[in-house]
Amino acid sequence: MRHFNFVLSPLDQFEIRDLFSINANLLGNIHLSLTNIGLYLSIGLFLALSYSLLATNNNKIIPNSWSISQESIYATVHSIVINQLNPTKGQLYFPFIYALFIFILVNNLIGLVPYSFASTSHFILTFSMSFTIVLGATFLGFQKHGLKFFSLFVPSGCPLALLPLLVLIEFISYLSRNVSLGLRLAANILSGHMLLSILSGFTYNIMTSGILFFFIGLVPLAFIIAFSGLELAIAFIQAQVFIVLACSYIKDGLDLH
Amino acid sequence: MASRLAKSAIGAARLRPTVSRNVAPIANLTVSRSASNVPTEDPKKKAQSILDALPGNSLVSKTATLSAAAGLSIAAISNELYVMNEETVAAFCLLSVFTAAAKYGGPMYREWAEGQVQKHKDILNAARADHTNAVKSRMDNVQELAGVVEVTKQLFAVSKETAQLEAQAYELEQRTALAHEAKQALDSWVRYEGQVKQRQQRELAESVIGKIQKELENPKVLQQILQQSVADVERK
Repeated sequence: MRHFNFVLSPLDQFEIRDLFSINANLLGNIHLSLTNIGLYLSIGLFLALSYSLLATNNNKIIPNSWSISQESIYATVHSIVINQLNPTKGQLYFPFIYALFIFILVNNLIGLVPYSFASTSHFILTFSMSFTIVLGATFLGFQKHGLKFFSLFVPSGCPLALLPLLVLIEFISYLSRNVSLGLRLAANILSGHMLLSILSGFTYNIMTSGILFFFIGLVPLAFIIAFSGLELAIAFIQAQVFIVLACSYIKDGLDLH
Repeated sequence: MASRLAKSAIGAARLRPTVSRNVAPIANLTVSRSASNVPTEDPKKKAQSILDALPGNSLVSKTATLSAAAGLSIAAISNELYVMNEETVAAFCLLSVFTAAAKYGGPMYREWAEGQVQKHKDILNAARADHTNAVKSRMDNVQELAGVVEVTKQLFAVSKETAQLEAQAYELEQRTALAHEAKQALDSWVRYEGQVKQRQQRELAESVIGKIQKELENPKVLQQILQQSVADVERK
């Protein structure tokens, strides 16, 4: 019965802890620390850089397998940018969108490694990105169109009587983009990891209850394996969804509908 | 013989339908099982493949690897270096998925990537071959022009000779023209002189004739001629 002595919460894996902190009277005694999310984001940065470095193949003309994979990611993101944004004007935002895709993908995949930490399941990270993107798109809209940017909130061909209500709805919908973009990513990753954690705890308790239950536990284990495969797919899909929506928000700022 | 046996079996079955009802489904089952395409894996081979998957060269080292792994796992778990909990289950599942992706997706990806790399290589090699051919054909073209200096020198000599000949021809032409002109002038002189001489001779002849006729009109002269003529005739 030893395993009932402590019960781990499924949310325990998402707790942010200080791994290393400086407790000195420096710069007005500010709290300088390396947290687990900071460490895993640094690992993500290191992996993304290593991947890019491997993909250069020592600057040879003939590519290697890494280069081919990066080329296909490049082509995918490029086609998304071309289709969602403008084929000519949209090219300007391609490096940003590509970096965003790689960042989210790498952090999603790091989160899938056992005993690691899912940075993208944290709302603080995803909301930072989504608020920055929507705010940037808004600035872009004001810079390109001035006060005409507000025409984004007026649906074309709407009756005058309904206009105040529709403008209000459009405005709320525009503001909710900030939340929905970040929420979608974090909620998907968070729920996936929680699901795996809860099912694993459930299966572990079944399988450790006796030799017969060990074999019975193989059934939910198969389900967890299937969900793990799904999580792997979600890591890619959510990164793609995030950049598609970021592109569409930038397009709204650029073209106003 | 076999067909006869088969026929007799069918005949017997026909005679005794109770037997055929029992035998036929079993026979069909055995036929379908033997004809199925599912390969029945040899258990020995399966066991050997599991043994081959273990690290080590000989059976002893494989056994050592297995016992060391088991020992280390037990030591790690008993000393609480590794705690078995639900995270182990999640880790097992995720690692199974990663292993499956690497095992089945990896070779497929490698094949595709190698195809792409080969495509790049083929394009570059084709470009290199094209370039080599272009350079070779250029070299061949240039080689045909290898004697261009000699040919130019010869052409220059020929052109120099032509220029000289042209100059000579022009000079000769000029001379001919001058000679022709001089001849024409001389001819006209000759014609003129001839005409003058002719006129003078005619005038001379006319004056002589006129004088003679005038003389003949003088009777004395006529008398004298007559006498002279008579004297000549007499002398003969």
